[in-house]
Amino acid sequence: MATKKAGSRLETEIERCRSECQWDRIHELVKQLSAKLISNDDMAELLLGEAKLEQYLKDNPIKQGTSPRGPRPKLTDVRKHLTAALDRGNLKPDLMQEVNLLMAKLNYVEGDYREALSVYARVGLDDLQLVASPAYKLRMIAEAFSTKGLCLEKLPTSSSTNSLHLDRDQEIITCYEKAGDIALLYLQEIERVQTANLQNRSPKPGPVAPDQELSFFLETGLQRAHVLYFKNGNLTRGVGRFRELLRAVETRTTQNLRMTIARQLAEILLRGMCEQSYWNPLEEPPNKSPLDDPFRHELNTKSYPLSRRPKVYMGENIFCPQENTEEALLLLLISESMANRDAVLSRIPEHKNDRIISLQSASVVYDLLTIALGRRGQFEMLSECLERAMKFAFEEFHLWYQFALSLMAAGKSARAVKVLRECIRLKPEDATIPLLAAKLCMGSLHWMEEAERFAKMVVDCGEKSPEFKAKGYLALGLTYSLQASDASLRGVQEDLQRKALLAFHRAHSLSPTDHLAAFYLALQLAISRQIPEALGYVRQALQLQGDDSNSLHLLALLLSAQKHYHDALNIIDMALSEYPENFILLFSKVKLESLCRGPDEALLTCKHMLQIWKSCYNLTNPSDSGRGSSLLDRAIADRRQLNTITLPDFSDPETGCSSEAPHTHGFYSMFSVRSVHATSIAASRVEQALSEVASSLQSSAPKQGPLHPWMTLAQIWLHAAEVYIGIGKPTEATACVQEAANLFPMSHNVLYMRGQVAELRGNIDDAKRWYEEALSISPTHVKSMQRLSLILHHLGRYSLAEKILRDAVQVNSTAHEVWNSLGEVLQAQGNDDAATECFLTALELEASSPVVPFTIIPRVL
Amino acid sequence: MLGSERGVVEEWLSEYKVLPETQLPAYAATLHRKKTLVSSLYKVIQDPNNELLEPICHQLFELYRSSEVRFKRFTMQFLPELICVYLRLTASRDRQSNGCIEALLLGIYNLEIADKDGNNKILSFTIPSLSKPSIYHEPSSLGSMALTEGALSQHDLIRVVYSDLHPQRETFTAQNRFEVLSFLMLCYNSAIVYMPPSSYQSLCRMGSRLCVGGFPRQHEKHWKDLCGRVVLDPEFMVQLLTGVYHAIYNGEWHLGQEVLDDIIYRAQLELYSQPLLVANAIKNSLPFDAPDSSQQGQKVLKVEVTPTVPRISRTAITTASIRRHRWRREDGFDFSCGSNPGSPTMRIIKDLGANREGDVLVYTTPETTSPDAASEGPEGTLTGEDILNITDADEGFSSAASVSSQPLSGKQTSSSRSGSRKGGSMRSVKEKESVAQTKPSESARDSTPRKQNIPVAADPTLEGIELSPMKKHLSLPAGHVVPKANSISLIRTSSTSSSKSFDYVNGSKSGGSSGIDTNLSACNTNRFSTISLQEDRLVHTMEGKDLLSPGAPLTKQSRSPSFNMQLISQV
Repeated sequence: MATKKAGSRLETEIERCRSECQWDRIHELVKQLSAKLISNDDMAELLLGEAKLEQYLKDNPIKQGTSPRGPRPKLTDVRKHLTAALDRGNLKPDLMQEVNLLMAKLNYVEGDYREALSVYARVGLDDLQLVASPAYKLRMIAEAFSTKGLCLEKLPTSSSTNSLHLDRDQEIITCYEKAGDIALLYLQEIERVQTANLQNRSPKPGPVAPDQELSFFLETGLQRAHVLYFKNGNLTRGVGRFRELLRAVETRTTQNLRMTIARQLAEILLRGMCEQSYWNPLEEPPNKSPLDDPFRHELNTKSYPLSRRPKVYMGENIFCPQENTEEALLLLLISESMANRDAVLSRIPEHKNDRIISLQSASVVYDLLTIALGRRGQFEMLSECLERAMKFAFEEFHLWYQFALSLMAAGKSARAVKVLRECIRLKPEDATIPLLAAKLCMGSLHWMEEAERFAKMVVDCGEKSPEFKAKGYLALGLTYSLQASDASLRGVQEDLQRKALLAFHRAHSLSPTDHLAAFYLALQLAISRQIPEALGYVRQALQLQGDDSNSLHLLALLLSAQKHYHDALNIIDMALSEYPENFILLFSKVKLESLCRGPDEALLTCKHMLQIWKSCYNLTNPSDSGRGSSLLDRAIADRRQLNTITLPDFSDPETGCSSEAPHTHGFYSMFSVRSVHATSIAASRVEQALSEVASSLQSSAPKQGPLHPWMTLAQIWLHAAEVYIGIGKPTEATACVQEAANLFPMSHNVLYMRGQVAELRGNIDDAKRWYEEALSISPTHVKSMQRLSLILHHLGRYSLAEKILRDAVQVNSTAHEVWNSLGEVLQAQGNDDAATECFLTALELEASSPVVPFTIIPRVL
Repeated sequence: MLGSERGVVEEWLSEYKVLPETQLPAYAATLHRKKTLVSSLYKVIQDPNNELLEPICHQLFELYRSSEVRFKRFTMQFLPELICVYLRLTASRDRQSNGCIEALLLGIYNLEIADKDGNNKILSFTIPSLSKPSIYHEPSSLGSMALTEGALSQHDLIRVVYSDLHPQRETFTAQNRFEVLSFLMLCYNSAIVYMPPSSYQSLCRMGSRLCVGGFPRQHEKHWKDLCGRVVLDPEFMVQLLTGVYHAIYNGEWHLGQEVLDDIIYRAQLELYSQPLLVANAIKNSLPFDAPDSSQQGQKVLKVEVTPTVPRISRTAITTASIRRHRWRREDGFDFSCGSNPGSPTMRIIKDLGANREGDVLVYTTPETTSPDAASEGPEGTLTGEDILNITDADEGFSSAASVSSQPLSGKQTSSSRSGSRKGGSMRSVKEKESVAQTKPSESARDSTPRKQNIPVAADPTLEGIELSPMKKHLSLPAGHVVPKANSISLIRTSSTSSSKSFDYVNGSKSGGSSGIDTNLSACNTNRFSTISLQEDRLVHTMEGKDLLSPGAPLTKQSRSPSFNMQLISQV
């Protein structure tokens, strides 16, 4: 009794060692076994033969792609054991099968392929039982199929007939497919047993089973089938095989394999397939596909019987990709999570190679993710993915750069600039990086000093191809130009403008075919009121780029400065035929029309703008109601709106200061963030907050959605109000202002316009109050300053009026109305000389004053 | 153009017109094999003054409109060439002569934007999420899950519309031009597998000419063109890249790579981040070994047998190895390596015993110790946490959620016991670390760092006292959830002074959980709660019991879902 029990325990132990490939322990166990019963001798031969063969293979691994040949002296022992067991024939039939399988394997290792094949034929490999077989038996069968495939590949085909050749190919592949399936089954089985053991032995953690390594034969069986498919040009079945392997439930041993083939399948999907040639993993593959070699005709459905197949992922609501990119993404995410797990974190020199390997395998996955997400425009998600890659990124330029670019593409400007700075450190010779950083700083961030530093980096940095150097000067000029608009001291302002002009000149001479250089040169000249020179350069710009909206707009404004209003209007109309939904152009058109075609036309244009607004935003913004669910959604919705229209620039037509970048779409840019004065930005933030508070009190006000559409709408209403004020219709004007006020009750523009209406009604006290409120929100709003000082002038408070006007002149020295008012105030105070001075300045400025300030035109890199 | 080519084209023009309905499928099958016809058609399209251009455009449109998909694809193969010719004519003054090409492009566009029933076609796809089981994986088995904000905020799959609601277009304007052309390229890419090699070549030609024409780089090219710069749009360039990517691997290895470089050049000059991003990725992932150059047009989609053994040596510290390591270890981790917090080192903070939360990698620079450095602004220094919020909370989260981790829970309590035996100094180091980590979370920034900075500066033992009460509160709910033998010790809270420091902890908690780095804060709280286990063991007083009732509801509010899950799986 006791011996039997001991015997069965011994047998279990032997079985376990064979399953887990612990060959070194077999010898000792065999000794115990032989001590028990004499009839175990044959069993011992079998075990010893197997153990020695496997040990040999472990010590002398067969490399992929090489083939063994010739008898090995070390293996004679093995042959002796196996022949002994076979000759006596005392073993049970299933054990005999095992001996035969081992014999065939030995034959293969020694290069005797024919003999191996004949042994397999004798054993009846295809009929071997998979159900209820112990795990080690599954391994043996899998290896046998794989070996059979290897042997078949080695032997020359007997017949040269093409169809037979094809049959042979298919037979080989089927062998590998079966080998792969059974190998997966074996691995799943052994893992199941191991975890069960682990749980039974719970409290004291036993010796953890060593990580399995796949033998050469199992590895070949798992991978050779799809390799052959791709070699033969049968993409359809190759993809099918990949999917079968990946659908099998993973085991610890297959993790690496899965990581690799998930990536490989993703590569195939992205590089060799498209939406129209796709079939999902649960569908039957198409019978004929352009993916396959047209000269081979094989069935695309596989059909071989197998009594047991590996377990696959199943479930009720299981996700199955329905589209090319979807499947590629899923695979890449899986692969990424595994690659991430293998990230080598230690930085000691001994692990350099490991680090390189882990970096490489991750880097490939991240590149593929970029390609897949990029073609679908999912940059927000991409930046999140690439952020996870940062653990590999120490001193790795490519990862840093890609991360920076993804942040930029996702609109996360502030962070992108910081990451770009690291990129510059890693690769100081690349001119593009500081240019990108300068572009971001100049845009919604409005970090002008930073932008200047980046631009200087490009300009100062040694030999460059002229086009990049020109770009650098362009960036430098833009920063100076924007800083000039910011500056509150005239001296500083003029100095910056001079520097800007110089830089633009350099850019233009370095790259004479770049329309942007010519255009910005023209714009800068226009801002400094050198109208004829500006006209010359804007014409050049238009010759280089005939339908650039900004150039056309500038041309129109320049013409209006020369008081050729009709010509200007014609140009605007022409520009509008190319950009029918460009609101900045439309706003200028309203101004011009009320000047030379009368208010009715202008009002029609306002109405037209409202229609455009409705069709643009209502159409493209169906997801408004469901907003705020996730950042991702928001980003997508925003992006789509940005795609459909060029966002108008919300430059303040009155303060004459510059603008935010239109399409970088600053998150805080309110419809009043047009003047870039620091005070004004602060004001607009206050305004935004106040508006939000105020509008939350009225339920009717629209709050959702990005701010831009609502800002545009408010601007339209204000323009309409202005036209009504111009023709002396206070009631209509009030109604229009009210519409704008519903959107942004605390905007200084709205308040200013209310003041204008009040003035029109003759209600001076109210007007004064409105102007004061406007100034309390935006202290540098020149238009309000001017109107307020006029009222103060009428009230006889000259010195206060003068003070305000002097401030206004500091803010914007080219506003001729302000100079004029200042002259009047000075005159009233009896300061005639100074007044004359002011009037002359006003006259001079008026002669070159455009209908809308030049700075309304966006300045972005 | 040779007379024979002209003849082929004219024959093609006439034969289709007289073709009876029944023979259309047969004709479609032969059409793509007419190599001379295709090359002659290219010649006509390239020559804007050819009088055959108009009938050809008309015929191509007729083919596209037919129900036979092979006719559609026949027309589609000329799309790159058509777009190229159209854009170059538009850029030059010569706008009149491309009328028929314009009409053809708009015609295809207007057909493509609608589905069979005339509704607007909506193209969408699902962003897969690893937190949902798929035919390729099970969330628990992955061990590490991408715990992005997106994944957190919605554990469901996200359906994304990437192209919809394109209005019908009657004319091209500068404004809608690239909207139309990008969409056309999208259509081309979705059928790119069916295109013949000549179409790939045409695509590459188009890419090169549009990107480089009029720029100094053009001088390096063998082709001469008197054409100015052509405006390009970033999205269009991304679509172009998608096509080029396919071409590179399907026969145009050399030509494709040349275009790739041209696109990169142009994207750099235009400072377009999106095409630059994608093009860099394509370039970087090109296989090192060029295919056999003798075989023109060879496909390079090949797969090799790859070794499956882990190629990374066992001794290397990886994200996974840390986790394994921690599972096995019964004792606390020696913190001596992290004893100089001021130095800019990459440190891996290991947690005590079996606390299976994420491994947190903090890139510590001297700046991190001052709260001001975290403030955003142009002058903001390149602090580690701003860029490198690398947290691996994903791992901890998923493994805590996975079923397989359950049996191990027994070990945790024992390890925490052993951890408690260690002195206070070790704890204080750990708390310094956790303070350093709270900072990156953006919303916590305005309140917490300044306050938490004080304990950092203070004497280590004092810190321990100050910080301990809050942990107790955070751990209380856990005791409720699983009222087992272990948890009794949890309820034995101590220190009457707890309510004082409790306020700010609670504040920082809620700040953190609503912030962007939710995973990070979850990770921190978890850390706190583990420490509290140890604290409780240390003090063992019963007087804190009455603190339990006021404490619990407060913490409930501030707890994030992930935090909750972690606690449950821990106790």
